[in-house]
Amino acid sequence: MIFVIDDDEIMAECISKATNKKTRIFGDAIEAMKALDDELPEMIFLDILLTGPDGFTFLNELISYSDTAKIPIVIVSSLDFGGKDLSVYGVVGVLNKDDMTPQEIRRYVDKYAG
Amino acid sequence: MDVEVDGILVAAHELKAPLAVLRQLALSFDDMNQPNERIRTQMINVSERAIKQVNDLTKLKRLDDGLFEMEPVAVRAVCDDVTRELQNLFSASRKNLEIKYTNRSRLVVANRELLRSVIYNFLLNAIHYSDMETKSVLTVKDDKGKVRIDIRDFGPALPIDIWKEMKRGWIKKPTSIAMRPGSSGLGLYIASKFSRYMHAEVGAVRHRDGTSFYVELPVSKQASLFGV
Repeated sequence: MIFVIDDDEIMAECISKATNKKTRIFGDAIEAMKALDDELPEMIFLDILLTGPDGFTFLNELISYSDTAKIPIVIVSSLDFGGKDLSVYGVVGVLNKDDMTPQEIRRYVDKYAG
Repeated sequence: MDVEVDGILVAAHELKAPLAVLRQLALSFDDMNQPNERIRTQMINVSERAIKQVNDLTKLKRLDDGLFEMEPVAVRAVCDDVTRELQNLFSASRKNLEIKYTNRSRLVVANRELLRSVIYNFLLNAIHYSDMETKSVLTVKDDKGKVRIDIRDFGPALPIDIWKEMKRGWIKKPTSIAMRPGSSGLGLYIASKFSRYMHAEVGAVRHRDGTSFYVELPVSKQASLFGV
């Protein structure tokens, strides 16, 4: 299972389709946090500019629990992170919405949820 | 940062978002090897929304030139028109829209084109910020010599800073993307500018489970010559 967190439903659906795996889509971080109580996903695709708590608030929550801290996260955002190392948050990759491709999404899935 | 530059940045970000979505949709054709009707509809909806935003931005300049005449406008007809157009988008987003008309006064003093944009932007905001599987409610009612159009969504409450600006009656600039992401900052800014031009009162009410945006327009004293 993969979680996709993006408040743009169509973008979330595109990412979900590209994974070729079973996914759950969440429009905000709070819903996703609640869902983590029920099941731990193999990995998470996370948008940063979300309605309500943003992606970094979500990442801080994740790393504060021993079980969720280990989940690989791929950030999917239109923000430019300038190659910043975000591995401290469990981030294994950053995809820019402006130029990412379904193949890139799938490469991450093969590596972390294959 | 300079207020104007900050505003332009927000507008640029919001106009870029639909382009990124369109690109992903187009790429998914390749990925699935078969274009389907749902994706085609999504592409049309997203492009139309972006075109409308650009059109609204160009109208902002025309406000300064005073090119929008005020006239008696049949308020229900405008609401019907906008809701019909956005029905697909509500369905595609798995959200519903309920319409309640209780107004006896049918004509308001407004500019039809601007009023249409105000309602369109409020409804877009409701689509974006409502929780999945919830319904938004558009209500048109009489209120002390005015007609009030109220759009209620059920989702996260409006951030206090934007609420304060709405309470003042207008938004100074599109909201900083760091404060409020997504598609609502620019839309609310446009809606507040258009409302101000029409001397309409615009505002927002925060609820525990969402937000209501409203615009109040004076009732037209002119007898109904339009059969509405």
